[in-house]
Amino acid sequence: MADRIKQFFVQIGDLSYFAAHFFREAFKRPFEFKELLRQCYQMGNRSLVLVGVTGFIIGLVLTLQSRPTLIQFGAVSWMPNMVGISIVREIGPVITALICAGRIASGIGAELGSMRVTEQIDAMEVSGTNPFKYLVVTRMLATTLMLPLLVVFGDLVALYGSALVENLKGDVSFQLYFNTVFDALEFGDLVPATIKSFFFGFTIGLVGCFKGYYSDKGTAGVGYAANTAVVVSSLLLFVVDFIAVFVSDIFYEL
Amino acid sequence: MEAQQMALENNTNGTAGKGSRKAVIKIKDAYKSFGDNHVLNGFNMVLYEGENLVVMGKSGSGKSVMIKCLVGLMQPDRGYVEVMGREISTLDQKTLDELRSDIGFLFQGSALYDSMTVRENLEFPMRRHQKKLGDFSDTTSLVMEALENVGLAHAIDLMPSELSGGMKRRVALARTLILKPKIILYDEPTSGLDPITAKEIIELMRSIQKKYGTSSLIITHDVDCARVISERMILLVDGINYAEGSYNELSQSTDPKVEAFFKK
Amino acid sequence: MAKTALENLKLGIFVVLGTALLLFAAYLIGNRQNMFGKTFPLSASFKNANGLQTGNNVRFSGINVGTVSKIEMINDTTIMVHMIIEENMLEQIKKDAIVTIGSDGLVGSMLVNIVPGKGDVPYVKPGDELESYSRIATQDMLSTLNVTNENAALLTSDLLKVTQSLIRGKGTLGRLLNDTLMASDLQHTIANLKQTSMQANTAISELNQMIESVDFEKSAAGVLLSDSLSAEKLRNIILNLENSSIQIDKMTQDLNAVVGDVKDGKGAFNYLATDTLFVKRLDETLQHIEQGTERFNENMEALKHNFLTRGYFRKLERQKKKDEKQMQQQSQ
Repeated sequence: MADRIKQFFVQIGDLSYFAAHFFREAFKRPFEFKELLRQCYQMGNRSLVLVGVTGFIIGLVLTLQSRPTLIQFGAVSWMPNMVGISIVREIGPVITALICAGRIASGIGAELGSMRVTEQIDAMEVSGTNPFKYLVVTRMLATTLMLPLLVVFGDLVALYGSALVENLKGDVSFQLYFNTVFDALEFGDLVPATIKSFFFGFTIGLVGCFKGYYSDKGTAGVGYAANTAVVVSSLLLFVVDFIAVFVSDIFYEL
Repeated sequence: MEAQQMALENNTNGTAGKGSRKAVIKIKDAYKSFGDNHVLNGFNMVLYEGENLVVMGKSGSGKSVMIKCLVGLMQPDRGYVEVMGREISTLDQKTLDELRSDIGFLFQGSALYDSMTVRENLEFPMRRHQKKLGDFSDTTSLVMEALENVGLAHAIDLMPSELSGGMKRRVALARTLILKPKIILYDEPTSGLDPITAKEIIELMRSIQKKYGTSSLIITHDVDCARVISERMILLVDGINYAEGSYNELSQSTDPKVEAFFKK
Repeated sequence: MAKTALENLKLGIFVVLGTALLLFAAYLIGNRQNMFGKTFPLSASFKNANGLQTGNNVRFSGINVGTVSKIEMINDTTIMVHMIIEENMLEQIKKDAIVTIGSDGLVGSMLVNIVPGKGDVPYVKPGDELESYSRIATQDMLSTLNVTNENAALLTSDLLKVTQSLIRGKGTLGRLLNDTLMASDLQHTIANLKQTSMQANTAISELNQMIESVDFEKSAAGVLLSDSLSAEKLRNIILNLENSSIQIDKMTQDLNAVVGDVKDGKGAFNYLATDTLFVKRLDETLQHIEQGTERFNENMEALKHNFLTRGYFRKLERQKKKDEKQMQQQSQ
């Protein structure tokens, strides 16, 4: 038991070291710009459909589920406000991040894990390319930069899904719906959510790269790396979310 | 045991004493352990310019660890490692990278980058070593030349997953050669290959050595490979250079630990 | 290479679209807070900000035209509210416009209303301070309503008590309202009184006639008076008369008491006032009594002066003097 607790703290320490290493390397030349673009494409564009479908269904279901209650209270006209705020502030970023943790963190974990196992990382280092820079920094930057965009995209699709339900069931025009949503939203909703998304992206990249980069020898290690990358990053996302809510509370008295 | 050790040292001194060949790699009293597993226990080795040195040892005897210490992928716990007159542990990242461009490293499992085509794989080492190559614009001809050397010019736009094990090994060899290194380190070049393909690879290694006059350090547990390619051999047993000599000398040794390697 | 270029193109489209979306959303939100576009400042001072916050809407004639940019505490009774207003409103808002703080619906957020003035005055200039009017906000309204409610509740409970005691027949009014028997008794009593007084009246008028007839027929009276029997009879009559007058006196007193009772009971008065017939009767009765008493007085005076009875009165006077003398002697 004591060993497990120790292991936990060792992991946290290693992860922090890894993050520090990232910041040391990220701002040092040479920049692997081409690889960054490639990774951005892999993580951004390739996740679009997944995020879009998830967002659409979430918006749809959230609206369908809360309609009866709001009707009971006679507050069904507040639906755009409620759904809009909850999606932009919390559900959009968290769902998108979780989806990406499943897709991206496991992908990175498996990819880097197998590269480590087949000595590709060593080969890279020997051929004069810093593998940390080439593999880790680009991926972490890519997730950090792409996730906010995915979140915005996911939010929009989710709101569209919600508007669709309101339009069909409640005869609310799209214009009225989005007008109401943007009336209800404030910078205090959008800004913390966007900043939070950057941290979500960073967390996903960090855990995925960490687990893959230091994966143990052997193919079993690759599977383990991919698996733990998803579990740890999902868990860490909620911790980050928790912290983010507290911090944004300070800046925006909500 | 004692006598043999003496003989080895004499031999080493004797070769050096000839003055005909310069040492490009020196390892003195290298120690490396992973926890309680002492992999290197005071290992000594010298590689002379232009020679083919085979280091033989059982799996897990620390051969790979030793070779990785040479390119700075690992650091020995103690001991002196010198490559081309430079002590590895004292170099900064930039000088180490420059030095590495003179060292080719053929990895055990080929270690081709899965996400890149053969061409990109070969181009990859050139990314950071433009200075050495001079004109960078003509990468294609360099890639073609390297691929022709290994007889795989037609595979230039294939992905590694589309290649057979032997082809992968040859592409990896081509990638190792692309920077025209002075020293090539081979980590189990024939492992996982059928005997015929292994033979092809060994032939390729010999032709390359003749063509470019490189010094080669070959790590293997394959006796056939050692017999064909070795000019000199070192047996790595229990973390030390247990025995040293030509293939013929060692294969006739009566030491049980040495004999164990050559038993069929 | 061609593949990478295509990937980069797609990535570029995604990044540009995503960023544009984010910026557009930010613009839309900011637009509602008048962060972009040309604006000008206005201000107004209030005694109470009523929970107004920066960012709350400013409405001019019900249209959102700006937001509250700053709320500044000048001193403990003056709060300066700074607003930013869309620039095109410069040609709409006049200097006599009045600024109030209100709320958007019963549960909505606070907002600032600019109510256009009626006068023909120039338009506002940027930075102007407008007049404010601290209208009763919902909160105040509710608190006032609360007090009213409490009062109403008190009133209702009192009313309930009154009604209950009325039903139970407490108090004069209650008794009057409930005890129909008593009311009819009272009516009876007064009717009896009237009858009695009328009878007394007739009796006295008869007596009067008799005395007059005595006066007219002197011979008969002489016979009658010389006759001791007749005198005796006359004395009896007078005695009876006295008795009846005492009784009348007593009755009058009783009546007085009844009337006093009626007066004491506030409710009873009300009841009596509505029953005009009853009052009329009572009035008549009293008049009769008065008349009767008056005539009786006259009769008595006439009796005194009558020679037949003069002796008797003198005798009475002497007796009285004698009694007084005796009283004086006794006291001496």
